[in-house]
Amino acid sequence: MVNFAFKLMLRDLRSGDILTLLMALIISVSTVTTISLFIDRLQLSFEQESANLLAADRLIRSDEEIPKNWQFKAKEMSLKQAKRTSFGTMIFSGDALQLSQLSAVTDTYPLKGAYLVDDTLFARGQPSKQPPKKGEVWLSSRLASLLNVRIGDQVEVGESQLTVAKYLVRDPGSSSSAFAISPRAVMNIKDLPSTKVIIPGSRVRYSLLLAGEPSDLENFESWVVPELNEGQRWRTPVEKGERIGDTIVKAESFLLLAGILAVVMSGIAMALASTRFVKRHLVQVAVLKTLGATPKVLIKVFSIQFVILFFIGALLGLFVGWGGQGVISSLLSGLMSTSLPEPSVGRLWLGIVTGLISMVAFCMPMMLRLIKISPMSVLQPSRKIEKNSLAVYSIGFIGIYGLMCIYTKGFLLPSIMTLAMLAIGILVSIVGWLVFKLGRSLTSGATSGWQIGFASLYRRLLPNLFQLLVFTLIIMLGLVLVGVKSSLVSEWQDQLPVDAPNHYLFNVQKDQIEQINASTENLRVLRSDWYPMVRGRVISVNGKSIQTLYPEGKGEPELYERELNLTWSHSLGKGNKLLSGDFSADGLSIEQRVAKAANLSLGDTLTLNIGGNIVSLPITSVRSVDWSSMQPNFYLILPKRVLDGYSANFVSSLFISNTNAQPFYKSMSQHPTVSILNVGDILKQIQTIIGQLSEAIQLVLLCILIAGALVLIASVRSTLEERLEEGALLRVLGAKKALIQQSLVVEFGALGLFSGLIAAAGAEACVYALQVFIFKSQASWHPLLWALGPLIGISIITAIGLFASRIVLKVPPMHLLRDF
Amino acid sequence: MAIRTAIKVSNLTHTVTANTGDLTILKGINIEIKEGESVAIVGSSGSGKSTLLGLLAGLDVNTSGEIVLYGQAFSNLDEEKRAIIRGEYVGFIFQSFHLLPSLQAIENVMLPAELKGDKDARKKAELLLDKVGLSHRLTHYPNQLSGGEQQRVAIARAFASSPKILFADEPTGNLDELNGKIIIKQLFELNKSQGTTLIMVTHDNELAKKCDRHMVMSEGSLVEK
Ligand SMILES: Nc1ncnc2c1ncn2[C@@H]1O[C@H](COP(=O)(O)OP(=O)(O)OP(=O)(O)O)[C@@H](O)[C@H]1O
Ligand SMILES: [Mg+2]
Repeated sequence: MVNFAFKLMLRDLRSGDILTLLMALIISVSTVTTISLFIDRLQLSFEQESANLLAADRLIRSDEEIPKNWQFKAKEMSLKQAKRTSFGTMIFSGDALQLSQLSAVTDTYPLKGAYLVDDTLFARGQPSKQPPKKGEVWLSSRLASLLNVRIGDQVEVGESQLTVAKYLVRDPGSSSSAFAISPRAVMNIKDLPSTKVIIPGSRVRYSLLLAGEPSDLENFESWVVPELNEGQRWRTPVEKGERIGDTIVKAESFLLLAGILAVVMSGIAMALASTRFVKRHLVQVAVLKTLGATPKVLIKVFSIQFVILFFIGALLGLFVGWGGQGVISSLLSGLMSTSLPEPSVGRLWLGIVTGLISMVAFCMPMMLRLIKISPMSVLQPSRKIEKNSLAVYSIGFIGIYGLMCIYTKGFLLPSIMTLAMLAIGILVSIVGWLVFKLGRSLTSGATSGWQIGFASLYRRLLPNLFQLLVFTLIIMLGLVLVGVKSSLVSEWQDQLPVDAPNHYLFNVQKDQIEQINASTENLRVLRSDWYPMVRGRVISVNGKSIQTLYPEGKGEPELYERELNLTWSHSLGKGNKLLSGDFSADGLSIEQRVAKAANLSLGDTLTLNIGGNIVSLPITSVRSVDWSSMQPNFYLILPKRVLDGYSANFVSSLFISNTNAQPFYKSMSQHPTVSILNVGDILKQIQTIIGQLSEAIQLVLLCILIAGALVLIASVRSTLEERLEEGALLRVLGAKKALIQQSLVVEFGALGLFSGLIAAAGAEACVYALQVFIFKSQASWHPLLWALGPLIGISIITAIGLFASRIVLKVPPMHLLRDF
Repeated sequence: MAIRTAIKVSNLTHTVTANTGDLTILKGINIEIKEGESVAIVGSSGSGKSTLLGLLAGLDVNTSGEIVLYGQAFSNLDEEKRAIIRGEYVGFIFQSFHLLPSLQAIENVMLPAELKGDKDARKKAELLLDKVGLSHRLTHYPNQLSGGEQQRVAIARAFASSPKILFADEPTGNLDELNGKIIIKQLFELNKSQGTTLIMVTHDNELAKKCDRHMVMSEGSLVEK
């Protein structure tokens, strides 16, 4: 039976509606698969990066050893734990020595996330859940280059010899200490005592990492927080991370809702194709029945065909979808410094469910009608099955509504969308009916293409109104996207430009600049200008020392907390804006946010310690700074004369993408003294990518457009027999080919023109609403939409319509005499 | 050996609901047809011939009365069971051929056997097409055949399931005289060789004369001539 059903279907392939059905199925499955897989990758990447942020669920950071009883308590509360001890120390190898940031960790480190390590220098790295073994050390590629050691070599840490086992690419839990400029190394905590590097007075950071059930963690938190002293902090994953997680979920719903339009269009194309399939098979099925095919057999035959179609379509759809998300990811890969994790196969179900629901909702009702046909209709061809397309389409819409609920995990948005579509549908039907009727009465007769074309529009009123609706919806969506693109992008990107710097180069000497410039240009790395930089610290404000102002550092603003990077400049840099005062005056220029945080204003005097020299300067200007610009920004800018005497290093900021990271690191190994600071927060990059999802929407729009084209093709096909007959008849009556062509152009052109116009009006209304209510910006008129809508409508719909009905032009008058 | 009854009809009436009200198409019909007989039904257009034929073949269910086909009454069977009986006993030939346009000639003829899952479907079909003189057009599609050729394929298809009763509704109605004659000849040849019962609606007197029995349908009543 399978064989027989398959054979019947293969023989039927020539007719085209099975192919249309298949195409439509592929489009809906692949659209949804692309979206859900791509979002899945963002989600996975987000989860991994959140885990790497702390390398644990919670963390205690301390300036002194963590009390032993805390660890007992944590164990009692069944929390997993790990310890990390970090400090700056010299690492030696032969003659070479280098100050580095070394951390010693327990075997359980990291509790969350993973190390990235590699066996080759400056490589991308493989994840590792285990830290170095006893006796081993992992060095960052830069450190290994500076010490001139390779895997297997020995290095000296204090009084111990350790073997280099891996090159360290990423150190989980360290991403927050972005200002540690020294290159990194990791060792096992068991080796720490024998190195004897930690002596009383050395600056060491002790961390206790915890992971476990949320309730256990909360219990421990309420127990331990009162115990914390001055130098100890209880840390949770940053709230920002949670917000990004939310954004990802929202982006998925949004994209899937845009995708649903493609699914709806495909569904309609499927319904039309199966209607034609049923029409063509009515008599055939009746004949099969007279030959003894029982309803059971027929149900079997058609279900088998249905299942085969579903399998082929779903499989190809998943395949295309997998490729689609790959394309989007690689288009956006330039924005990431690491590659996105592979999508999980488990997410394919959404595409499969979409395909199944579409097939069941849009094809099944038709097929069932086919099976119900009375065999008597072979003897009395006038006997047709009753028409209840309304019921058929309602089943389809119930299916779509169900899908929307699955996508958005709720009922509100799908209900609103369905109602909106219904309202647009009614509106378009009324307008279309009026227009077609008017067009028909203005062009009565049948001697010109205009008359025949309008007559055709009016005669097939229902299918044409339907097409009008479909194309109005598609063009409208496209126009809305065009209209709000700029608002949308700025809203989504959250003021984060694509190429915010993710690396800084410090300690660059004047004579190195040229060479570094050459290699960044070569690798097309985006780089800011070079800024001279001297480090210094604020020691008093208006003559009062910081110590007396903020005893024990309580409430100390960031400006006083640490050593600052100072620069001089004659002019305001890019992205800087003067808010008050005079930039060229002989004094300090301060950034407004830090000024506000430290409660400083024009005229206040700051005293700085710069390399042992004490300088006092008044604040003479306040600037605002665009922190997301490509430039390194400075809290304080000093007059040139003050800093002239110091040997300045130069600093520049760069955006290094995933693709050019490796060659760039490699080229920088020629300048071992230059410090590279990676501030590329991957979470931030994910946010950037979400900002770029408007690009993905355009891809979804393309899918919708293809599906819409399928609808047009399918609906032209469903009237093809009729059209062929008319075409042949006109030819018999002496009409030239050009006349028929002209009538088709008029028919489809008018359809395109009206859908374009109605869509432009609808889009203008939508954009207005969005501007006023969502983006809260000034509403404006968009002449572009009014030009674009009809233009796109006419050109695309005429082209597709002529393509789908091209055989009408070729039909020989003989057609009337032969049964096709 | 007594000749079996192929079909027995008693008090058959058929009423349909049209939009103008109920319409009685068949008004109390009684016939008995023996195995191997050939019967011609003539009558004016709209008198109910096709309706009767359809009911006899179990394509539809009559309103009242009884039709017994080889000892089995149709009236209380559902479509599933009627289809099984059709597959076993009944063959059909139509005025407008009704070949499946997407299937080649040979595939059309194979259909009934394939529906039954017969492995030798192709061989049988080739043989039958050879008998109707179309062995050179096996792989042609219906729209590549003339009307007469299409009807010959239809005859081959009707005999492919070795039916006990063959129903034909104006089999020559769409054909010219010459082609009509060929069809009649082949139809009766196959009928003789397989011992089939033949019930045929026709306007063609020549064809009617060749049958054993003649009946006239007039306004829903059937009279034997
Ligand atoms: N389902 C139905 N609904 C309404 N009227 C019907 C139905 N079936 C048959 N009729 C009517 O019953 C009458 C008999 O139809 P039938 O097809 O049996 O005629 P016929 O004798 O075969 O005519 P012809 O020689 O033209 O083929 C016709 O008037 C037809 O319109
Ligand atoms: Mg008839």
